[in-house]
Amino acid sequence: MAKHYDVIVIGGGHNGLVNAAYLARAGKKVLVLERRGVVGGAAVTEEIFPGFHFSECSYVVSLLRPEIIRELDLPRHGLEILPLDGTFTPMPDGDLLWRVNDHAKTLREIRRHSQVDAEAYDEFGKMMLPMCRFVKPILSMIPPDPTTLNPRDLRKLYFLGRRLQKLSSDERYTLIQLMTMSAADFLDQWFETDVLKATMSASGIIGTFLGIRSPGTAYVLLHHYMGEIDGAFRSWGFSRGGTGAISNAIASAAREAGVEIRTRAGVSRILVKNGRAAGVALESGEEIAASLVSSSVDPHLTFEKFLEPSDLPADFLEQVRRYKFRGSSGKVNLALDALPDFECLPGAGAHLRGAISISPSVEYMERAYDDAKYGRFSRRPYIDVVIPSVTDPSIAPPGKHVLSCFVQYAPYKLAPGEGSWDDQREKFGDTVVNTLAEYAPNLKKIIIGRQILTPLDLEREFGLTQGNIFQGELSLEQLFFLRPVPGWAYYRTPVQNLYMCGSATHPGGGIMGAPGRIASQVILGDSKRAMN
Amino acid sequence: MPAGRRILVIGGGHNGLVAAFYLARAGHKPLVLERREIVGGAAVTEEFHPGFRVSTLAHTAGPLRADIARDMRVKKFGCEMIHPDPRVFAPAPDGRGILFHDDHATTAAGLKRLSPKDAARYTEFAAELVHAADVFAQIAAITPPAIDKPSPEDLWNLLKIGRGVRNLGQKRTFDLLRWGAMAVADFVAEFFETELLRAAIAARGIFGTALGPWSAGSTAVLLLRAATDPHPVGSASFPRGGLGALSAALADSARHAGAEIRTGAEVARILTTDGAATGVVLADGEELRCDAVVSGVDPKRTFFQLVDPAQLDPTFVLRIKNLRASGTVAKVNLALGALPSFPAVASVAAPGDSRRSLSGRIHIGPEIDYLERAFDASKYGEFSADPWLDVVIPTLADPSLAPEGKHILSAYVQFAPYRLKNGDWPSRRGALGKAVLKTLDVYAPGLSNLVEGIQVITPLDLEKTYGLTGGHIYHGELALDQLFTMRPVLDWARYRSPIRGLYLCGSGTHPGNGLTGASGANAAREISRALR
Repeated sequence: MAKHYDVIVIGGGHNGLVNAAYLARAGKKVLVLERRGVVGGAAVTEEIFPGFHFSECSYVVSLLRPEIIRELDLPRHGLEILPLDGTFTPMPDGDLLWRVNDHAKTLREIRRHSQVDAEAYDEFGKMMLPMCRFVKPILSMIPPDPTTLNPRDLRKLYFLGRRLQKLSSDERYTLIQLMTMSAADFLDQWFETDVLKATMSASGIIGTFLGIRSPGTAYVLLHHYMGEIDGAFRSWGFSRGGTGAISNAIASAAREAGVEIRTRAGVSRILVKNGRAAGVALESGEEIAASLVSSSVDPHLTFEKFLEPSDLPADFLEQVRRYKFRGSSGKVNLALDALPDFECLPGAGAHLRGAISISPSVEYMERAYDDAKYGRFSRRPYIDVVIPSVTDPSIAPPGKHVLSCFVQYAPYKLAPGEGSWDDQREKFGDTVVNTLAEYAPNLKKIIIGRQILTPLDLEREFGLTQGNIFQGELSLEQLFFLRPVPGWAYYRTPVQNLYMCGSATHPGGGIMGAPGRIASQVILGDSKRAMN
Repeated sequence: MPAGRRILVIGGGHNGLVAAFYLARAGHKPLVLERREIVGGAAVTEEFHPGFRVSTLAHTAGPLRADIARDMRVKKFGCEMIHPDPRVFAPAPDGRGILFHDDHATTAAGLKRLSPKDAARYTEFAAELVHAADVFAQIAAITPPAIDKPSPEDLWNLLKIGRGVRNLGQKRTFDLLRWGAMAVADFVAEFFETELLRAAIAARGIFGTALGPWSAGSTAVLLLRAATDPHPVGSASFPRGGLGALSAALADSARHAGAEIRTGAEVARILTTDGAATGVVLADGEELRCDAVVSGVDPKRTFFQLVDPAQLDPTFVLRIKNLRASGTVAKVNLALGALPSFPAVASVAAPGDSRRSLSGRIHIGPEIDYLERAFDASKYGEFSADPWLDVVIPTLADPSLAPEGKHILSAYVQFAPYRLKNGDWPSRRGALGKAVLKTLDVYAPGLSNLVEGIQVITPLDLEKTYGLTGGHIYHGELALDQLFTMRPVLDWARYRSPIRGLYLCGSGTHPGNGLTGASGANAAREISRALR
C-alpha cells in the first residue's frame, strides 16, 4: 500500500463530495472514490445523445442547504441556479391549473377553480412558513438518542420540546398533522379543488412507496415544501448546465480544499483491522489505507456488501436488513426535435419553463399507487415533467430540447406475473410517452431519442439499492433518530472509524448536502477527541 | 364535601354508563339519558328474526378494562362472560387453517404445519406484544397532558410512562418508536412468513378504521388494542345473552351506585347560559337543569347538533369539522337453520372438536393483499366485493340466543364506506348482504342455503339508528393524528370542552377504542376533579 490518507470517502455523490470538502477544509487528507467515470452520483449530467445533456436522475434543485452554498462558496465554483417557474397541471377535460411564483397570478388562477381555495391557498402558505422554520434547524442537527440519559441528548430533546411548546396552538395542530397525516387528508382540510389537491399532494409521495392517502406522506410534502420556502424560491430551480453542474461545483470546491478525487475506482471491500476501518480495497484489487472511512453509499452496500457479517453485531445487521428501500420511481428522458404542444394551453408559453405535473385528480394519484402495491408499474402514472433546455439552451442543440420525466410508480419488485424490468423497460417507456401524449399529442412525432431508467437501472448504474432515490424510504419509522438504524442515527457505525454520510442518514434524501455536512462535523469532533 | 352535583349524561352507551357509575361513586347525582328504549348504545342484544337474538353491533367485549369490571362488579350484576378457547379460527380457501388458543404454546404447535419458523417466533411475538401493551396500557389510562402548561400530575404521568419505556431497554424502546408509525403489514412481516398468519394478526390494526394493512400507522392501532388484551389476536369474549347483558349489568351497577337512567329520552339540545352548560331539552320539550352535562355521544353530534356551533370558538369548530369520522364497517347478522360447516376445520381439529374450533371468532381474510384490496374499494366509495369478515357464531357457546338446534352468525364487514360513489345505502343494502354470503360460501360451502333471516346494518344505519355520526363505530378515526392529546382535537383532549360544564366521555375521547370503558372512566375522574 503506497499512499496513506486521513479519510477515504466512498462514493462521489453530492453528499460524499460535501463531506470530503468540509473534511479537507479542516486539514484532513481526503480521497474520494467514485465507481463511475463521472462524479455526482444521482446528481449528474451526461451527454446521452450527441448534443443532448441529460440530468439523468435528479433533475431539480430544491433543498441544497444555503449554508453549504455559502461556506463552500459554490457560486464561485460555477454553481448558477436558474428559476424553475411554477407548476403547470394539464387536465383531461381540457382545463388546467397553472401555479407560478407570482403569487397574485396564482391566486387569480386558483380563484378560477374555487374562490374559497384561493383564500385558503394564502392561509396555507402563511401556515407552512412557521412549519418550515420549525423543521429547518432539525435538518442540520445530529439526532438525539431518545433512549439515553446522556445530558447532550436530553438537552436536544428538551430543546425540541420547548420549541414545540413555543408554537401557537394552530401551528402545533398543523405540525402534528404534518408529522402524522396523509398528504391527501391534510390537504382535504384546506382545499376543495380536486386537481389542486392532487398536484400539491404529489410532492408527498416523491421517492416513497406510499400513496397520497397513506399516513406519513404529509411529512414528505413538508420535506419538499421546505426548498420552496427556503429563501423564497431562490433554491428551487435548475442549475445551469444540468444537475451535474452542482456536483461539479462541489467537486471543484473540494479539490480546491485539497481533496483528491478518483473516478472509475469502485470500492469492493472496506478493510477492517482489529475492529477498526483501515482503508478500502478497490474492484481492481488495489488496496488503499486510511485512518478513517466515510461511506456516502447506502447501508446495504456499506454493511452487507463492503463488510463481512463477522465485522458487525448480529442485531445491527438484522436492523440493516430490515431497512426499507423499495424503489418506487423511474426516469424517462427524451431528446426532442421541438417543444411539446399541450392541447389545453398551446404554444411555447411560459408554462413550459416550470414543472409540468401529470396529476389530474386525487383518485388518479391513488390508483397509480394501487398498481404498485400489487407489483406492477402504474398504467397511468404520476409524471413530473421538466424541460430545462427552455431555461438553459446550452444543454441541447439549437432549437432542440431535453425533456425529463420523473415517473411514479415503478416498483423495484415486480409481481411474478409482471415479468422482469429488463423486458418491461420499453413498455414502461411507452406508458409514460403515451400518458404524456394524451395531453401533448405532438410529442410522439418530435422524439429523437429516449432514455429509460427503471428502478433496476438506478440500482445497477447508480448504485441506488432497489432503485430508491433517497437511499431508503422517507417513512416515519426511518426518519430522524431512526435513520438508517435505531441507535445508529449519529453517522457513526459499530465499526470504529467507519462513518456514514449519505442520504440514508438524517435528514435524508434530495440534493440537500446536509448529511455530508453533519457527518463531517461528527467525524472532526471524534478525531479531535481521539487526539487529546 | 363539594359532591352531590346534578349531572346529566347524554347517551346510555357503555362509556356513558361507566362514567355515570364513577360519578355516582364520587358522590354526584348522575342521570343518564338514552334516546332508545334500551341502554347499551352499540353494545345491545336485539331480536332480529323471530326467535333469534343477536349482539346487534359489537359482538365481542373489548374486553372491559379489568379495574372497571372489578369496580362495577359486572359479574355480580348478572354478566357472565364466556371466554372461548380457541379464540380465533382463521381458515384459508385452500383448506388450511390456524387456531389461535389462549395458550401460545398450543397455537405454536399448530403453526408448525404451516411454518416451523413462524411457530418458533409466535411465542416470542406474543411476549413482545405484552411488553408493548404494558406501555400502551399506561398511556391509555392517563388523561392526555396539557402541552402548554403540563400540571404536576401530567409530568408525573409522563415520568412514569418514561420509566416504563426505559425499563423496556434500548432495543424494545426503539422497536416501539419504529412500530407505532409502521404499516401493520410490515410489522407482522418482521416476525412471520405465512400470509394467513400475517393477515389474521394484522387485521387487528385496521379494524374499524379507514386504513389498510399497508397504511402507515396501523401498527399503532394494533398496539393500542393490545393494551386491553395483549393476546396476538385479541379478545373473543362475550357475555351470555349477548353484549346487551353486559350493558344491562353496567346499568344495574351504575343504578346501584346511585345513578338514575332514563330510556326513551332523546336529548334535542344542550342548554347554555353565558357560555356554561346548565341543562338539556329533550325531544319532547321537557327541560332538565343540572350542574354539568357529560356527553357520551360523538363530538360532531355533540358540538354541531346538541350545541349551537355559533357559540363556539371558530378554531375549535374547524377542528371538530376536520375530525375524520367516516365509517368503514358494516354488520351482517344471519339466522341459520343449522350450523354451517367449515371444511378447513378438519385441517386443525379432531372431528370431535370442530364445534369448539368455531366457538370463538372466525377470521375471513386469508392474505394481507386480500385485506388491502378490500380496503382499496372503500377509497373509491365502493364496498369490498370480497370483504374481510370478523365472524362469531355465539349460539355455539350460548344456545339460548336461537331456537333449538338453530344458530346465529354475526359478521363485521369491512370495508363498507359511509359515502358510496354509486347509489345510496338503502338501495345497495341487498348487494352488500349478497357479497357477504358469497364470501362466506367460499369458506363454508352451502352456508347461504341455511339462511332463514338476514339483517344488514350499513354505516348509514349506524348513524340513523345508533347515532354514530358518519357511521363511525369509534366516534372518530383511530389515526395517529386523532389519538392521545389529539383526541378528539388538540387542546381539548382532557374530556373538557370550550363550554364550561360540558364534558365528553365517549369513544371520541382518549383512548376511545372499543368496549373497554376507558374513556368513560378517565372522563369521570377528570369531571369529578373539575367539579371540586
